[in-house]
Amino acid sequence: MKRLKNLLAAIVWMSAATSSANDFVPLDRAAATAVADPASHARPTIVALWSFECVHCKKNLKLFAEMAKAHPRLQLITIAAEPADDGLAAPLDRVGVTGKRFAYGDDSPEALAYALDAKWRGELPRTLLFDGRGTREAVSGVVAEAVVLRALGLQK
Amino acid sequence: MVMMTMAERATAGAGSEDGSAMTMKRKGSAGRLAAAVLLALGCATGAFAQHADHAAGKTAAARPARPELGTSAAFGPDGVLYAVSKDGQHVVLQRSADGGTRWDASVIVNAEPEAISADGENRPKIAFAPDGSVLVSWTRPLAKPFTGEIRFARADTGQGFGSPITVHRDRQEITHRFETMTVTASGQVVLAWIDKRDLEVAQRAKRDYRGAAIYAAVSDDGGRTFRPEVKVGDHSCECCRIAIANDVDGLPLMLWRHVFEPNERDHALAKLGSDGTPGAVARATFDRWRVDACPHHGPSLAVSGDGTRHAVWFNEKDGEGRVFYGRLKDGRVEGQRTVGGERAAHADIAVGGERVAIVWKEFDGERTQLRAEVSDDNGGRFRSLSLAATDGASDQPQVIRRGAELLAFWRTRNEGMKGYWLR
Repeated sequence: MKRLKNLLAAIVWMSAATSSANDFVPLDRAAATAVADPASHARPTIVALWSFECVHCKKNLKLFAEMAKAHPRLQLITIAAEPADDGLAAPLDRVGVTGKRFAYGDDSPEALAYALDAKWRGELPRTLLFDGRGTREAVSGVVAEAVVLRALGLQK
Repeated sequence: MVMMTMAERATAGAGSEDGSAMTMKRKGSAGRLAAAVLLALGCATGAFAQHADHAAGKTAAARPARPELGTSAAFGPDGVLYAVSKDGQHVVLQRSADGGTRWDASVIVNAEPEAISADGENRPKIAFAPDGSVLVSWTRPLAKPFTGEIRFARADTGQGFGSPITVHRDRQEITHRFETMTVTASGQVVLAWIDKRDLEVAQRAKRDYRGAAIYAAVSDDGGRTFRPEVKVGDHSCECCRIAIANDVDGLPLMLWRHVFEPNERDHALAKLGSDGTPGAVARATFDRWRVDACPHHGPSLAVSGDGTRHAVWFNEKDGEGRVFYGRLKDGRVEGQRTVGGERAAHADIAVGGERVAIVWKEFDGERTQLRAEVSDDNGGRFRSLSLAATDGASDQPQVIRRGAELLAFWRTRNEGMKGYWLR
């Protein structure tokens, strides 16, 4: 009986995981403004901007997924700088990225980029780091764990 | 952009005076030939409906649609404006006799449907052979991520488009993408693209390899066949468009974002010889943007009649990401300065006689503006122009040339394809 329960639970979990694969929230300007606002984040938060075609993004996503597991207080939010085509979730699922997943909605991509980070010029990966106490740091490219931990205020 | 400009430059020749003269001369013979091509193409199109960008937007009710606005334009030898873009699994050709206000119905380039890249730094390209044939290239993405093939089709004089060919001999399912095209002064068709075959070899041998490589293929028969591709240079950036322009001797110069050691994403320049042999790769910009990232932001290049190499590019310098203009000269940059404001992006440049024009787009906090700078003295002094603005998604703009005249071309999701004369 217990085995059956476990099996059922596994099936439910797997189907949930499958459906969540395409479960991107379309990002609009209001959501972009909110997610980029330090006041929205009461705990250490990584907002990772990425795209399917970005070869350098995978390293950051893997690191952030590992960090999210190691630091229960850490919130990880990903934003694909493109609409959610089929298969967009694969690079996130592959490295075990959890947390809320956004993908660009119908608003002008330039308006969304501006709302997220007026200093961002489209290079990927781009990462917004919030310490949960009102500060925000933005960094382009592949990042080192120590840099991320410091910006998040999670340094030991 | 970069490429179309190239196409037009190629048609007219690289030099200003020479180029104009050549264009004028060709309007006689090649112009008639191009008209014949178009007549044949028109017959082949039948009732293919004009594609409206708005319609594409509407199908996205359930899920936001990728704005695949990637379009290239060039003037044909008949003086008519041609544009190539993507409609589903077809590359389509449209033309406008009035500089981009009204457009004829689309002509299908590839009869058999296939995947086509047409967003961001990707777009189909168009050029014209000396005999007036219409040449179209594009990248066909393959099943595996990051992979693709460089495709090419030509419409012979008096005919519709023939079956597309894959330009390169290497048929691995790897990256061959971000192609660019020009026609040299002697009529050779040159395609260059980003290629990861060397990266793949290195990865199999567990060796490090920075970035990707630039490969090129040359056709001596107007695009009917291509010679085996050659490597132009190792260590290009992975996903920025390549600029190509004919030098004053009519041979193609390529400018691309390069990854210099250890990870400086500056630009490199190389030239193909008349036999298709690549010359040395030379560093062209010195901003020293050290980052492991994909800028998705390639350069543009134009050569004026006196040999001046005018370039625009994007880089981060002193912590600020900006568009720059400068003249590339013997391994240094002359007159480097910023173009536009803090959010200027995706600039293109072209020359027509003494006139040099730069176009770019720039988000102002509410709308995306199309802006330009025009010089009437070969890049000495520039004046600024505001050309258009849009509320929605937009393609990268380009400047294209007809003789000594320059036209800004911009496709937006809301307004479609438009031309703006730069006077």
